[in-house]
Amino acid sequence: MSDARTAEFLEFVQAGGQVETDDWLPEEYRKRLIKFIEMHGNSELMGVLPERDWILRAPTLQRKLALTAKIQDEVGHCQLIYRVVEDLGKPRAQCLDDLISGKSKFHNVFHYPTRSWGDVGVIAWLVDAAAIISQKALLKCSYAPYARVMKKVCWEESFHILHGRDTVLAMVTGTPEQFELVQEAVTRWWEPLMHFHGTPIPADEDPMLHWRIKSQGNEEARQQFLDGYVPQILELGLELPDPNLRKNEGGLWEYTEPDWEKLTAVVTGHGPASQERLAFRRLSRADVDWVSRVMLPEAA
Amino acid sequence: MTRPRTDLLLELADDELILGWRDSEWTGIAPFLEEDVAFSSIAQNEIGHARALYELAARDLGTDADVLAFDRRPEEYCCAPLVQAGLVGDWAGTIARHFLYEAADAVRIEALKASPDAELAGIAAKIDREETYHRLHAEMWELRLRDEPRFRAAFEVRWPLALGVLAPDLRPRLAERVGREEVEPVERSTPGTEFEALWNEMTMVRRSAPTGAQW
Repeated sequence: MSDARTAEFLEFVQAGGQVETDDWLPEEYRKRLIKFIEMHGNSELMGVLPERDWILRAPTLQRKLALTAKIQDEVGHCQLIYRVVEDLGKPRAQCLDDLISGKSKFHNVFHYPTRSWGDVGVIAWLVDAAAIISQKALLKCSYAPYARVMKKVCWEESFHILHGRDTVLAMVTGTPEQFELVQEAVTRWWEPLMHFHGTPIPADEDPMLHWRIKSQGNEEARQQFLDGYVPQILELGLELPDPNLRKNEGGLWEYTEPDWEKLTAVVTGHGPASQERLAFRRLSRADVDWVSRVMLPEAA
Repeated sequence: MTRPRTDLLLELADDELILGWRDSEWTGIAPFLEEDVAFSSIAQNEIGHARALYELAARDLGTDADVLAFDRRPEEYCCAPLVQAGLVGDWAGTIARHFLYEAADAVRIEALKASPDAELAGIAAKIDREETYHRLHAEMWELRLRDEPRFRAAFEVRWPLALGVLAPDLRPRLAERVGREEVEPVERSTPGTEFEALWNEMTMVRRSAPTGAQW
């Protein structure tokens, strides 16, 4: 009985149907949704840390306001996304506990340190560009509440890209030292960006596509990113650190195979800044733990 | 002899700028996600107010707002001691400062709205519209934390600093507003080492390129 029900559910979502919180959901679907959406929420929250160091260092009032607003958006996304997870049965406090204990994951790009103001431009422009490609594909997610949240997220992320591009443009048209800040950042971020959309797992083997949680394969997303952004990067006179990067006659981008083992290591907490970031979050949470006890005594 | 208008504008702008800078340090690490978003909004508002005030001062001084915000030497800033301290991790201190600053600022803005200088009165009215929400936020927090010993201690420490935000003639109004006796205020003076550390950080990117570079 339950199998027939699952088959019917699967047929519905695979045909593009969307389900709501109150609908019957197969247990496997619910588990996969929670894991996927929770990781997205975690990533929004951990994504604050690489950039927040530069909030204090923004070089003009306009950049200060833009960067603060951008990072605030990311926290807002986390709040919205955790609410979706909460409706699926996992409370926010538990998501935060699992995040800081290292039990749950967050996206690879947030395991890396930021080194200069060049990173601020490159993250907002290129990391957010890579992210919006994935997030736009989630607008068609079979779980309707998540798809609805993505509308707001995508709308805000598109502003971040403009802010990032504008920050980069000011530097590449500035002094040679400013140009070099961007070039160095692009070179350093290229590997994490190539890792961003994940291994080129075939569509029919991807459980996320099976349940229509995602509607786009990893390699398809990466190709879209390369197609949209490599020409823009080169147009600014910047160089990319992959001698094999080129668009072939079939219109597909070829590139040096990224080190996928490194990606696995990074997202399992072995990235250059993974432990430092988690430690910082544990510490900052411990500092203000008493506030929850005062404000939400019923939760303590 | 009355003080030049730019002195007053810079004092106000420096207070708003540095408080905004300090509040923005909570981005990403406030006790609740909702507070993260709230404090970030407040920080952006304060910096927006600072920008408007610097722009007015810059017109009088023949310069621009960014130059006033970033290119002065640390000893040239005139922000009140209340706004200078870094309080990341110290939520009780942050809320005590927030509450006291908003109360002092309310008194100051009320007086400015009555200024015979139409530009000053106009900018004060504009700022007041946003500060109303900051006050509601601060008062909500004060109400919830007022019985917490660590909040009371943080409040006591900052009361003389809060008085120092205002000109002497406005101090009784602040005391009345928060229901406290006036004490010896901590006056504005040359900013100390904690401010200098913040200045070093807030200007480091800007100082890394020659003056006039675009960012």
